[in-house]
Amino acid sequence: MSFPKPQATLRSATGIPTGRLAVWWLIASEVVIFGGLLGSYLMHRLGHPEWADAAAHTNTWIGAFNTFVLLTSSFTAVLAHKAAEAGDGKKAAKLLVLTMGGAVTFVLVKSAEWAYEISHGYTITANNFWSFYYTAAGLHALHVIAGAIIMGIIAADAYRGRELQRVELIGIYWHFVDVVWIFLFPLLYIAK
Amino acid sequence: MSDNHDVNYKKIYFWLLGLLVVSVAGPFLGIGWVTLLTAFGIALVKANLVIQNFMHLRWEKKLVKWLLMSSLILMALFVAGVAPDVMNHEGNNWVNVAAQAAVERGLSDEQSEGGEAPDGGTEVAAAEPGVFSPVAQFNLICALCHGTAGDGIGVGGAAFDSPPGNFTDPVFWETRDDERIKTAIRDGGAAVGVSANMAPWGALFDDAQLDEMVEYVKSFRPQGQ
Repeated sequence: MSFPKPQATLRSATGIPTGRLAVWWLIASEVVIFGGLLGSYLMHRLGHPEWADAAAHTNTWIGAFNTFVLLTSSFTAVLAHKAAEAGDGKKAAKLLVLTMGGAVTFVLVKSAEWAYEISHGYTITANNFWSFYYTAAGLHALHVIAGAIIMGIIAADAYRGRELQRVELIGIYWHFVDVVWIFLFPLLYIAK
Repeated sequence: MSDNHDVNYKKIYFWLLGLLVVSVAGPFLGIGWVTLLTAFGIALVKANLVIQNFMHLRWEKKLVKWLLMSSLILMALFVAGVAPDVMNHEGNNWVNVAAQAAVERGLSDEQSEGGEAPDGGTEVAAAEPGVFSPVAQFNLICALCHGTAGDGIGVGGAAFDSPPGNFTDPVFWETRDDERIKTAIRDGGAAVGVSANMAPWGALFDDAQLDEMVEYVKSFRPQGQ
């Protein structure tokens, strides 16, 4: 069984490889999704002084640690891209696996954090602040999980020297997930 | 793939970590505007570093920049359109009673609990017996579907297949007694064999308050029934 090679990643009618353009389109739509959510949060936060009391219960250190984890995983993702550009698929795959390690760490820390908060009564229905907290961070965590799965598929290919251009594509997506967290961190943790 | 960008990724990475430390340290000074600057100013700087250097937006064609800019403009339009409604709780000839009540409740709740965890926000309404008013509760919760006149004509109810109960209809009262109304309010419509679209509200009211709600619902009953 053989399929013709998809042209999407090779053709480039706009001067941008079509696969990369598709990732940018995806990110443009994600900007509206996360932008709308965070914009709503910001408006409510400014209009409701009582939210500050609720926000005081989030743990800045856990948030800061997860920011560190995501920044580091972005660093390894961009190094994977560099290795792929140099044609070193094995090195790119190893760096992608390290990046996935960051994703797993992030999700584990987040699970422990949520378990602690939920067991102390801060549930998604406790008040509107916590509703936003779990919705925004939860949507972001789903992106982390999805990114890590796709990264695994791409790493397996890259290890065999195949589809190396995809390493850059997952990298761009991963950096976007990082950027979203860069804004979530001050919104949910620092501003008390 | 052919793009060859000479970026010192390690340097960018250490800048990001340094900025992270500053953003965490900022609030320790206890100065409001410094916290805002170190939290959100630095978030912008960090995001820009990642977008330009890791995502390589600097070297990307204009098309992509326009694409992202369009998304940001749409987002700004949304915020600008909604913000006046969300951030103000009163204006010319209008007052957002529910939002004002939420602020008051949230603030007093936090003080009375001394920073303890809430057990669920819905209990807050029942925790202040001094201000309990069945009329206000009805207008806030029930009227959405049942209408402020109790006639079953509320905006929320229009979407349901089975119309919400019409308390001004004599036929409605042929099959109702106090206990059944109380059960329906507390445990939902399904508990008395009518539509489950009638949600259970038992978490909001204690027993005495439920009785008051029943009395208010009965006040819609036509005379002579």
